[in-house]
Amino acid sequence: MGETILEMKDIDKSFPGVHALDHVSLEVKRGEVHALMGENGAGKSTLMKVLTGIYKKDEGTITYKGREVEFHNTREAQDNGVVIVHQELNMVGDLTVAQNIFIGREPRKGFRIDDKKMIVDSRALFDRLHIDIDPTEKMSELTVGKQQMCEIAKAISHNAELIIFDEPSAALTEKEIEDLFTIIRDLRSQNLGIIYISHRMDEIKVITDRVTVMRDGGYVGTLVTEECTKEDIINMMVGRVIYEKPKEKSLVPADAPVVLKVEHLNAGKMVHDVSFELRKGEILGFSGLMGAGRTETARAIFGADPKQSGDIYINGEKVEINSPEDAVKHGIGYLSEDRRRFGIVVGKSITENSTMAALSEYMSGLFINKNKEKQVSEKYIKELDTKTPSTDQLVVNLSGGNQQKVVIAKWLVRNSDILIFDEPTRGIDVGAKNEIYKLMNRLAAEGKSIIMISSEMTEILRMSDRIIVMCEGRKTGEINIEEATQELIMDKATRQMEA
Amino acid sequence: MKKKKSLGLMADQKFIVLIIVVILYVVFSFISKDFRKYSTLVMMLDSTYYILLLAMGVTFPLITGGVDLSIGTGMICYGLTGGYLVVQKGYPTWVGLVVAVLFGLLIGILNGILIAVMDLPPFLGTLCTCMMTRGLGSICANSFAIPWPGAKAEGGWFHNIFKLTVGAGRKAMNYPVGVIVLAVIVIIMSFVLNHTRVGRYTIAIGSNKEATRLSGVNVKAYHITAYAISGLFAGLASLAYAAAIPTIQPGTGAGIELDAIGGAIVGGVSPTGGAGSIVGTMLGVFVIQLLKTGLPYIGLEANWQQIVTGLVLIGAVMIDVIKQRREALEG
Amino acid sequence: MDNFKQNPLVKKVGFNRVVLCGVLILMYIFFSILVPVITGSGFAGMSHIMGALNYAYFLGFLSLGVTFVIATGGIDFSIGPVMFCCGLISGYCLMTYNMPLPLCLLISVLIGTLFGLWNGYLVAYWTVPPFIVSMASMNMAKGIASVFTKTQSVSWPRSTDANGWFRNLVKAGGVPTGLFCFLGAAVICAIILNNTKFGRYIICLGSNKEAVRLSGVDTKKWEMCAYLMCGILVGIATIFFVGTYTTVQPGYGDTYNNEAIAGCVMGGTSMAGGLASISGTVIGVLIISLLQEGILALKLTKDVQLIITGIIVIVAVYADVMARRRKN
Repeated sequence: MGETILEMKDIDKSFPGVHALDHVSLEVKRGEVHALMGENGAGKSTLMKVLTGIYKKDEGTITYKGREVEFHNTREAQDNGVVIVHQELNMVGDLTVAQNIFIGREPRKGFRIDDKKMIVDSRALFDRLHIDIDPTEKMSELTVGKQQMCEIAKAISHNAELIIFDEPSAALTEKEIEDLFTIIRDLRSQNLGIIYISHRMDEIKVITDRVTVMRDGGYVGTLVTEECTKEDIINMMVGRVIYEKPKEKSLVPADAPVVLKVEHLNAGKMVHDVSFELRKGEILGFSGLMGAGRTETARAIFGADPKQSGDIYINGEKVEINSPEDAVKHGIGYLSEDRRRFGIVVGKSITENSTMAALSEYMSGLFINKNKEKQVSEKYIKELDTKTPSTDQLVVNLSGGNQQKVVIAKWLVRNSDILIFDEPTRGIDVGAKNEIYKLMNRLAAEGKSIIMISSEMTEILRMSDRIIVMCEGRKTGEINIEEATQELIMDKATRQMEA
Repeated sequence: MKKKKSLGLMADQKFIVLIIVVILYVVFSFISKDFRKYSTLVMMLDSTYYILLLAMGVTFPLITGGVDLSIGTGMICYGLTGGYLVVQKGYPTWVGLVVAVLFGLLIGILNGILIAVMDLPPFLGTLCTCMMTRGLGSICANSFAIPWPGAKAEGGWFHNIFKLTVGAGRKAMNYPVGVIVLAVIVIIMSFVLNHTRVGRYTIAIGSNKEATRLSGVNVKAYHITAYAISGLFAGLASLAYAAAIPTIQPGTGAGIELDAIGGAIVGGVSPTGGAGSIVGTMLGVFVIQLLKTGLPYIGLEANWQQIVTGLVLIGAVMIDVIKQRREALEG
Repeated sequence: MDNFKQNPLVKKVGFNRVVLCGVLILMYIFFSILVPVITGSGFAGMSHIMGALNYAYFLGFLSLGVTFVIATGGIDFSIGPVMFCCGLISGYCLMTYNMPLPLCLLISVLIGTLFGLWNGYLVAYWTVPPFIVSMASMNMAKGIASVFTKTQSVSWPRSTDANGWFRNLVKAGGVPTGLFCFLGAAVICAIILNNTKFGRYIICLGSNKEAVRLSGVDTKKWEMCAYLMCGILVGIATIFFVGTYTTVQPGYGDTYNNEAIAGCVMGGTSMAGGLASISGTVIGVLIISLLQEGILALKLTKDVQLIITGIIVIVAVYADVMARRRKN
């Protein structure tokens, strides 16, 4: 490890209603891989966005290469050698790989962009990184994993001195992750500073030199990876909040009837021959890596996306579901992973959102019975303990956890028996998370059947009665909670289907 | 392998449109004797130049995922203003031409600011400038109808850019030199779209504006540029229009944008942005123009033109939608 | 200013609308002073108010119609030419084929409805961008009308003619019955928008279509209905147009698009969808109509009005953009 390349000190940042970063510090040295860890919503990405100039910090200092700096946009950060490989892919799908890598700094001959040089340079870059991608291919035609590799290649091509990897492995297969690590080790040996954000404890142990842990927007501490254990890190991450133990046995009665049966479901390129059963009162966990096809499976069952083939049985009867309308009629409710886009109408009130799926029951003749609507809305605000001044509050003004409760209320008002929770606690703070868990357990106890898609292993192990694991669009495992371990799930989640 | 397939598809689209152009020409020629005449061809080309110029310009905003509805009335406005200076105020022709083109560029930049900086929806911002240029045209020309100097008159040299008349009287021979001029412009604009930063970023903005911004591209400037090109070409089109139409009437021009935008979309410009080509646009314009010119020759009155153009446009978008849906399903 | 905003009455009516009413009154005072100074003839008085109202009736119906479409986040700028198409075809039926007047009025509404259905079908079921549909429909409406009437203009019967009774809808004796029709229609539209399933769904889908669809709502159907509603209102607008202005010429009508949209966006309906106000639209229409009357009284041409209307729309929409930016 060499000299310090980056020092962030007492960084503070607030958004309306959220104290996103509370005096956070981070120090990175040349030639080290520095892990930045924390739960979802701990503030890791926000911190990196402050560093690269996407957000403006409220307080604190950033010292880079011995000089105090403040970048105003990513371009400026790039020009100074600070680049970020984003979690979300920032790709221009209609351009080629080479055009994407050199966008914003195309080599030119006069007015003409020198595409040939771009392709040659891209090839050289890929060769150096041992990546097998054709630079003339259109970006939108690559797999997610390869797009990720292009992002990394693009970042490196900036003569970077400090590279930030924001959960780069989430969408990668085992083999691709190994390639990635080779690249990272190579970069480390070239005396670059590397910040590595990840959730995966095993990776942290393998690839990083030091770990900085964040919690709820605050700085917790920095450890040397070699000298600490997994448990140390976890304890720092979760802090005072006592994590409930994994569920030890299924709470579903042995004779509970099957309420939903899916057979040989095929939909698009992400769902291949998926079959499973869901029983009354069960919480069925869906685990897998990002891009494993879990959300796509849920959307196909719900009729949100077209499916090619497959049968769906509800309470033993075969049903035709071709649109969300059909699904809702059959008592299915879907809580999307992306609440703001697919779950709620942010500009409308709690009441309007709550009765969205069941408006027909709140009509008096041709007109909406606004009193009745208000009553039911109030009822569920009380029942779910939604924190809001009134039923007329616009949903946009609620916190993430309370927004999620409004979505749950929507399906309870509709009296749906089968609920699909897609990443139910994404972007929700720890306290609200526990409330959502309790609520789910209560619903299951009341006889609702729940499919829970989650990328958080602890969440899967804590909530599920049974776990289905998917990989690359196929079901690769079905595990009873009694036998489930993180290792077993991860093994199945990364298993390539044997041909 | 994949790459070849996608290139093949792109070529296919243009190829299909090209075949449609040929078929239309052959069919109309087969049905109508008059359509076959050389003079009809020259006449048809005359009324194609300005549409083609408009269409090439509007291809840029369309590829960014926007649209420019002000090109039709704008073209008339610029033609009226330039012509007013020449005809009523006695300025030399070149002054009128330069003023028309610069006026177009100015309105184009205004459109760009409305959309890129002020964030107005493109159709709305340009609908406003569409109406405003309509009013401005009349005001700038003092509500006169403007006859630009004729081909033979003093100051009428600009006609020769598009149609060279050799000889006089019955022996006069018209050469559509505009074909060469337009071909050169098509090649230049193809180059601009495919091999310069302006073109590259136009496509990038239409494909993923946020990613382009995060790559450090000055998105606003290039977004404005796309509309400026559209305005500039509307200015150029006003010259072709003045050469083709004896008198420019104030208050007209609405509806011409449909031919241009329709042509671009028929030629493969995606109405949602991110894809398109100048050559495709050119072929699309030919389809629209052949239909418009040809219909009267096969016995349909001229009023059907607007209906047919509208249907062709909707049809082209529908085909695009079907293609996208199939791709989404097959992955 | 904040005090004024917090005033209970202002809160109830809506700050936006109070300001608009203020603009309306100021504009009236402005013209009342300016017109006599410049032209020497008076502006204050009933005749100009009636003139403005005459303009407000048909424009009001157009604007109410397009409010529904804009609420879904779409746009329809074929409404002006479609209104002309309705007026030309039904008028041609009346004058040339001597069809009974009620039937002709019905035809007018029917044509508007068909255009609404066509536009809505393409936008909702085929996901054709609304501006493309509008552009195509605008020109097709002109084309169809010209084909049908063989490019002749059509004159509707005068109030003294046998079939002139329909003009009582606009003005009966000295009473501006049109105003009652317009306000009545506005009240009905407001109820539809705020108190029915249709209204609830279109506003919500304007705000977030996917979320509404994933709540099990047939969003395509309701989105199409918004355009259908617009079409019906355009058909009705035609009756008030021909009842006021008698002659309809083929090939025109597009200048009214912008004015109708201006009335709507001024009233606080957001171009981004999800936010619509019928009362705002009513006041917006009155402002545009008064502006038109004032400009005529100043002996300025329609051209000036086109430019001013354009600027009004740009300012109104930009204000909305800024408001949304601030919220995020």
